[in-house]
Amino acid sequence: MAENPIIEIKNLSKIYKGSDEPALNDITLDIYPNEIFGLLGPNGAGKTTTISILCGLFKPTSGNVVIDGFNLSNELGQIKQVIGIVPQDIALYPTLTALENLTFFGNMYGLRGKSLKEMIMNRLTAFGLDRFAKKKISTFSHGMKRRVNLIAGLLHGPKILFLDEPTVGIDVQSKIVILEFLHEINQKGTTIIYTSHYMEEAENLCSRVSILDRGKIISTGNPKELVADHPEFKNLENLFLYLTGKGLRD
Amino acid sequence: MFKFISAVKKEYLLLLRDKAGIIILFLMPMVLIVIMSLLQEVGWNAIAKEPKVQVLFVNNDADSLGINMENGLRSSGFFDVIDSIDHIPVTQESARAAVKKGDYLIAIVVPRGITQTMRANLRVAVAKTLAGFGMFNPLLVNNIIPKETDTVTLFFDPTIRKAFKNAVVSSIKEFNYQSETGMVFRSFNAEMARQFPAYKPPNIEYKESLRFREVFPSYKEQEEIPTTVQHNVPAWAIFAMFFIIIPLTGSMIKEREEGSLSRLMAMPISYIKLLLAKVTVYFFVCFVQSFLMIISGIFILPLFHIPMLVIGNHIFELIVMIIVTALSALGYGLLVGTIANTHQQAAAFGAVSILILAAIGGIWVPVYLMPTVMRHVAVFSPLNWAISGFYNIFLRHGGLIMILNPAIKLLAFFLVSVFITYIYRKVKSPINI
Repeated sequence: MAENPIIEIKNLSKIYKGSDEPALNDITLDIYPNEIFGLLGPNGAGKTTTISILCGLFKPTSGNVVIDGFNLSNELGQIKQVIGIVPQDIALYPTLTALENLTFFGNMYGLRGKSLKEMIMNRLTAFGLDRFAKKKISTFSHGMKRRVNLIAGLLHGPKILFLDEPTVGIDVQSKIVILEFLHEINQKGTTIIYTSHYMEEAENLCSRVSILDRGKIISTGNPKELVADHPEFKNLENLFLYLTGKGLRD
Repeated sequence: MFKFISAVKKEYLLLLRDKAGIIILFLMPMVLIVIMSLLQEVGWNAIAKEPKVQVLFVNNDADSLGINMENGLRSSGFFDVIDSIDHIPVTQESARAAVKKGDYLIAIVVPRGITQTMRANLRVAVAKTLAGFGMFNPLLVNNIIPKETDTVTLFFDPTIRKAFKNAVVSSIKEFNYQSETGMVFRSFNAEMARQFPAYKPPNIEYKESLRFREVFPSYKEQEEIPTTVQHNVPAWAIFAMFFIIIPLTGSMIKEREEGSLSRLMAMPISYIKLLLAKVTVYFFVCFVQSFLMIISGIFILPLFHIPMLVIGNHIFELIVMIIVTALSALGYGLLVGTIANTHQQAAAFGAVSILILAAIGGIWVPVYLMPTVMRHVAVFSPLNWAISGFYNIFLRHGGLIMILNPAIKLLAFFLVSVFITYIYRKVKSPINI
């Protein structure tokens, strides 16, 4: 990687109040422009905590993060302008329509007027939701909600998009539409940081992945190369199980 | 500003879509005012117009004092004088037993010969007085020992309040004084007529030398008689405004639980701006609530034969009081909504704390009726500050100066609440704001 990283994480740690064990334990990681970077790991590995810190939602206990040249500790305002987030929860207002939700979130990025509306309608069309623009979110299926949830995070055309399990609990059709769209925006220059439990999906989508367990990075690399380095495992899922173990997690 | 307006619009839409919530916010307070006014008006009538507290009256005297006392009780309009139970004349024993059983609250027993005793004693007193003028032999008169005073016995049910008991005793004492004064006059005239046959007693009836006029001083020198409505409308309007914390905290916690707040906090918008957007929308809700409640007081309550709310000419002061009361209620709502972890916590704590603040603040029972300790506690309730301000407008017709003190306190309460909310969120919340 000759380019400068777009995200530099150095010795990042996070210990939640009342917890003895660190949720993140001295993580160091560089993510480069135009990557689709996967954060993989079992429950409680620290994926969501990492994304939450990178988005400025949680303060790290220690460590340093620089995103697009801005330091997280004192330039959060600038960072918020270049990032987009698609949370794991359906973070939408159920009693508002899709159009109202997206207009509101677009407004929060300073977008407004006709251009915003056109952008919203384009996105809704791309995700097969244009007919439902004026329907309340509460009437949507889970897959439809996921798609609107995704659109809300990228209306402002972020340089970096964080996705926390964007395809969880949805049908194959919705999943394909979402993954194809992610590919498309990545082609256009958006760096994507993505968490998932679906190894096959990550293997196909991501240019690089980090496997986390118990707050630590235990392996990083191109998924195909990682599998190739361990010929005894036929795919990423087998390697993942080998690295993280079969024990149940909290 | 644009983001703030957009956040206000979002809050407005969320509120508008909650039809049940809107009914609760706007209709319930109006229903509350009508019901509470009806209840209190009936209670007021029960005391002021149709009291008829049943009093067992045993008149063993059958002379002027007993008769005067009975007539006085009957004509007072406060008592229903009962002298027989099941067609059997009441005796001291049956009266005592009836009160003991709780069938009657009060019994009065006038002893036999009380008038005669009083008359004799007064005659002696008059003679002693006139002896000073040489009309009687002082040595002879001064040696007369007055008869021992008779006792009127009163039986009270233990549930009777002390204030009411004192009022009954005072009434009886008053009837006694009236009789006694009349007797003194008559006795004096009789002795004078005996001593001076040419003396013709004046044909005058004794009348009370003092009269009383009840006035409620106001700053406009106009007489305003407080009614239950003048208390009820502002009191329940304040109560409803503070209950705004239930939907407000619900909205805050829902946003937090559904993840929308996390998403917003990753966007370039400040938390305080989002809070102020909520405050703006719910402020208008409070304002409309108050308006509707005042309208209820003016137009709906009279339909139920309840006196109309008189708001006077201090509209500006009224608006100021509504604004600061609404702000203080919203400030409190923001605080509760921030500190509470769940909707259940916020709803339970919010509702109970408002009930407590209302109770100690004089919303249910006016502060002057409270025990001394509670009167001192009352001054700490924002609802008390609010009701004092409204009283100053509705009952005392006070201007801006009169509402300045409560208004400043309520505004300060809002600012302090918002400040604590912000600091608490910044320090305690895992989310970086």
